[in-house]
Parts: sequence; C-alpha cells; structure tokens
Amino acid sequence: MEYGKPEMMAVAIIREIKPGNVVFHGLASSTPMVAMKAAKALGIEYTYVTLSDGVDHDWSKPAYLASTLTENTYTGSVASFGLDEIFDLYASGKGDIAFLSCLQMDKSGRIAMSYLGGDYDHPKLRGPGGAGSATLTPVTPRTTIWKTIHDKKTFVEHVDFATTAPAVDKEFTVITPLCIFRKPVGEKYLKLDCIFPYTTIEEVKENTGWIIDETEVPVMAPPTDEELAAIKKVDPNNILGFEFK
Amino acid sequence: MIHALRAGAYGIPFMPVGGMWGSDLVALRPEFYSVMKSPFDGSEVVCVKALAPDYAIIHVQEADIYGNCRILGPSYQDALLARAAKKTIITTERIVGTYRMQEEPKLTAIPHFLVEAVVELPGGAKPGICYPDYLTVDWADHKAYQKAVKAGEVPLFADKMLEGRL
Repeated sequence: MEYGKPEMMAVAIIREIKPGNVVFHGLASSTPMVAMKAAKALGIEYTYVTLSDGVDHDWSKPAYLASTLTENTYTGSVASFGLDEIFDLYASGKGDIAFLSCLQMDKSGRIAMSYLGGDYDHPKLRGPGGAGSATLTPVTPRTTIWKTIHDKKTFVEHVDFATTAPAVDKEFTVITPLCIFRKPVGEKYLKLDCIFPYTTIEEVKENTGWIIDETEVPVMAPPTDEELAAIKKVDPNNILGFEFK
Repeated sequence: MIHALRAGAYGIPFMPVGGMWGSDLVALRPEFYSVMKSPFDGSEVVCVKALAPDYAIIHVQEADIYGNCRILGPSYQDALLARAAKKTIITTERIVGTYRMQEEPKLTAIPHFLVEAVVELPGGAKPGICYPDYLTVDWADHKAYQKAVKAGEVPLFADKMLEGRL
C-alpha cells in the first residue's frame, strides 16, 4: 500500500505505544489522535486519556473534524477523567506518554510554545500557551513531541524563551516527517535515532538548525499493510492530512 | 492555572505544582511563580500564587432554579472554578426540576450554595460545543466572533447573536 509523510509519522507514533501504557495527547492534535485511534484498532491494549475528559472513547467512530475537543474523543468513554486529574496522574508517576507539540525546539529539547519573536508581552507570534506542556514535560516518563514540519525555522540552534524543557532523568522523543530524535535518560541532548525510508541523513541535516553528530542511523521500517489499513479504518475522512495541507 | 485555582478553592495562599521545571515562565512571572523548598525533605518545588476570580461564568446543560447544576458532558475544571471564584453565575441550556438532582445527587457538579445567579440561555455555549446538545463548532460564527474581537465590536456581535441575526 502507498504511504506518505502523514502515514509514516502516524505509524512512528503508533510504534511508541506499548501495551499497558497510559497515553495522553494535547489540544489540536489531529496527528496523534488518528495514530492513537489506529493503535486501538491494531489491538494494542493501552489507556487513552485526553482533554475532553474522555477515557478510552469509542475509537471506531471516525473523527469528522481536526479538532480534538469534540464529542468524538468523549462518546463511548468508560470514565470521565479531567485535565486536572491527568496532571495529577502524571505528576504522581502513573502516566507513560504525553504527545505534545511545539513552535520551535533546540538540541536540548527546549521548547518554545508561548511565543516567537519580540518578547513575551509584545510577541510577533503568540502561541497557544503551553503551561500544560510545562507541567507535564518534566514529570512524564516519555514525553513525545510530534511536529509535522521539519525545517530550520522549527528546529533551531537556540530557543530564546523555553516554555518547557525535558528533565535529565526522563526519556524525550521528537517525531518529525523525516526522522525521530531521542534524548535518552541521563543525557542532555537530542540524538538522531532513526530516519524514515524516503529520506537521508543529509536531508535531515540540511533541515535541522543544530549540528547532528550521528553519521549512521537505522532506517525505520516502512508502514505495514496492517498499520496502513488501521489508519484508513479509523480515519476515512483523512483528518490525518489536516496538519500537512 | 489549575493549581492556582485549587489554592483559591482551598483558601490557601499558594500551591506547589508537579512539573514546571526548566520553564522560563517561572523566572518571567515572579508575581505568579516561586520556587521554594519542601519543609519536609528540602526538595525544591515550583509554587503558583492562589487565584480566586471575582466571578466565574459557567455554562451547563441543566440547572434548577436554586443553582444546582448538572454537567452532562465533559466538565473540564468547571466545578473547581466555581469553588475558587467569589461568585458564580450559571447559564444553562435548560432549567430542570430539583427532582433531577434528588434522583442522582452525585451528578450535581456544582451545588446551589456556590451559585449567585442562574440564567436560562439555550445555545449559550455557541459557537462552541455543549455535549450532547450540540456537537460541533459553528466555524462561520466562530470566525465572525474572531473578526468582532479584532474590530473591538464584541458587544455588537453579542447583540446580534442573542437576537439570532448573525
């Protein structure tokens, strides 16, 4: 089956989710939403929590909007669990993955979410806030940033104002349309972990604002027919494509 | 924000937060964030100042005339907000009889003694969502609202919306 960057990213997200995990995605997160529904369709038994209060909503009902704050992530839930409770859950060490995004990032995983350009009170671009990221990132065992753009404006040498930054004692992962970066436990900087089948290390380096030291990394296996079928099944309206338009 | 509201609801001056480490927000807003040592083990923790809003305005699916509220969809931090605020104004899709609450007291998310006023306002969450009464955002109206904000014409927008002539 054919696939493109959206499907490869979704599959990379799916492969992060292990049985038994408690997994959260944030607001306006169509890419992880589709991937997490597909992970359910593939039979990975994990817990899906999100801002809609929903817990393990009926994943078989396709999303009809890219918004992740509709009844689609609530209807059919087995429980109601609010964002305040999710923060507590993760702070007390009972969460596993939080899929979050960013406006900009640097090599130490420092994330700009509050604003870009100018200063905090007079920004060129006001971000969505990100105090949620700031609360979750330092306490989440495997914070995973998804970003559907991979260029030098996004992955920069230095982030001026970091809304949040990874904790040294936690894993931290970044999934882009080209590759995966990881910061292992105990380390400070992101390393290129693997690249996707349709790209090269050179292309990743050309589009990344920091110096990548790795010269040889594995190529992630392309999506399987089963994975692609699961994505198609949960996303007939191609919500996955929304962030890539 | 949630932790700040909790401090407000608990009647204490601040609240320690799990997380927030590494955020530049902490140094940027010393009037809101502070780092202190735990009196028990000396570990450092980020704290936020209490937030007790003068008013909370909350839209619910069902309320009785006394202000007992049932939130039938996602409740977000609405109950916490009502506990933190000095006064709470409720807008509701419909007024129901108190017997609804008596049947299932646990479904009353906000009790009457926290509520100052109840306004019956069907469609009061529009152009947003109020589960299960209306399930999708009305994007055309939402864009009109954004436009009104930019133009400083929110009162005009509100008038038009209330009169059903958006």
